[in-house]
Amino acid sequence: MSKTIVGVTGINASDNPAPGIGVAKSLKRDDANVTVIGLAYDAMEPGIYLDWFIDKSYMIPYPTAGDRVLVDRLLYIRSQTGMSVVIPTLDSELPFYIRVADELRSHGLHTFLPDEKQFRLRDKQRLEKVAASAQIRFPKQYVINSTIALAHIAPELGYPLMIKGGVYSAHRAEDLQEAMAHFSLVVAKWGYPVIAQQVIVGEEMNVIGVGDGYGDAPGLVAIKKMSTTGFGKIWTGVTVDHPQLLEAAKRFVRNTRWRGAFELECIIYGDDIYLIEVNPRFPAWVYFATGVGINLPAMLVKRALGESIDEDIGYDPGKLYVRYTDERVCDMRTFQNMVTLGES
Amino acid sequence: MNAQGHSRLARLAINNEGFAFDPQTGESFTVNETGREILNQMVSGQPMEVVSMSISDGYAIEHREVMSDVRDFFEQLRVLGLVEATS
Repeated sequence: MSKTIVGVTGINASDNPAPGIGVAKSLKRDDANVTVIGLAYDAMEPGIYLDWFIDKSYMIPYPTAGDRVLVDRLLYIRSQTGMSVVIPTLDSELPFYIRVADELRSHGLHTFLPDEKQFRLRDKQRLEKVAASAQIRFPKQYVINSTIALAHIAPELGYPLMIKGGVYSAHRAEDLQEAMAHFSLVVAKWGYPVIAQQVIVGEEMNVIGVGDGYGDAPGLVAIKKMSTTGFGKIWTGVTVDHPQLLEAAKRFVRNTRWRGAFELECIIYGDDIYLIEVNPRFPAWVYFATGVGINLPAMLVKRALGESIDEDIGYDPGKLYVRYTDERVCDMRTFQNMVTLGES
Repeated sequence: MNAQGHSRLARLAINNEGFAFDPQTGESFTVNETGREILNQMVSGQPMEVVSMSISDGYAIEHREVMSDVRDFFEQLRVLGLVEATS
């Protein structure tokens, strides 16, 4: 049987970690012989230096460099390594990979991604549509393009409220002044539009899985965040068995025929489930699912290669997830190679 | 006197050290030995009166005093949303 060689992006494991390391760890746990290729945008991305998860790393251009440049780079990496699957893990790069998926496949480089229509559902402005597909509630929200509009709708949403960027960033505001400040910050960093969203009080729970593209999700894991970082990223969490939430996730996958990785961010208040956000990718804590027996990245790779996967695997509630910081000391050569050769 | 809406209480996983975990919400609580005994009896469907009698007998404490403590404990469970109401 030939060795699987998988490229993974988002290997920046900083205080706001990307999902790539979790994906790489999961793949190694599934198959110690898998080769993981780190696809980095910066020579300082920590994953480059974690050679027990990432076997070899290459610099790749940002998607803004243009489709051709990035496709050529990926095909070069394939020619050098035999990479047969690539897992993009960052929101901003997904449109590119979706656009060029057919071309990559024609060269033997496989992905397993939502199509463009499905991808648009992750748009925060389409939250209502996704919530309807899962038959759950969603918070009241407005898409705004000015502070005047913000001042107009804020009283209706009430305080606190959330100010969110179209793709990234979410800030809680306790009053209009704070909301205005967050609005300016989001626009400066991520541009328009901005979403002002009602805050739903309750327990935050998230579900992750992989949709098979035909309406099934062979593995789902629901968790509750017990503590978060200043960026709102999980630091400790626990698996939960919330039947209504898991059913909602199944309805989402069934009704959208979701293909690929996803995360549903929800707030639970009593018997009500509110959908806060949809992410068309794995979260940075994806290894949590792997640790409780649901290896979603491994499933995704199998699906990308057209292999079958086991259905409906369960997991135990009450499993704890704890993040920690670590250090790595290594030779300067890896950094030098990434800067000068673009690979190491 | 009775406890209504025990469905959430019934699903608690309570270990011997008094650590109680709700697998649906992910919430966890700790109780002392007496609290664990009360919780276990309530989970098995015993009404508050029977629970307090059992504790009174087991610890040789006057029933009226125990009943008051059990009622307070029940009120805490209600605040935490583990039981729905007292009557």
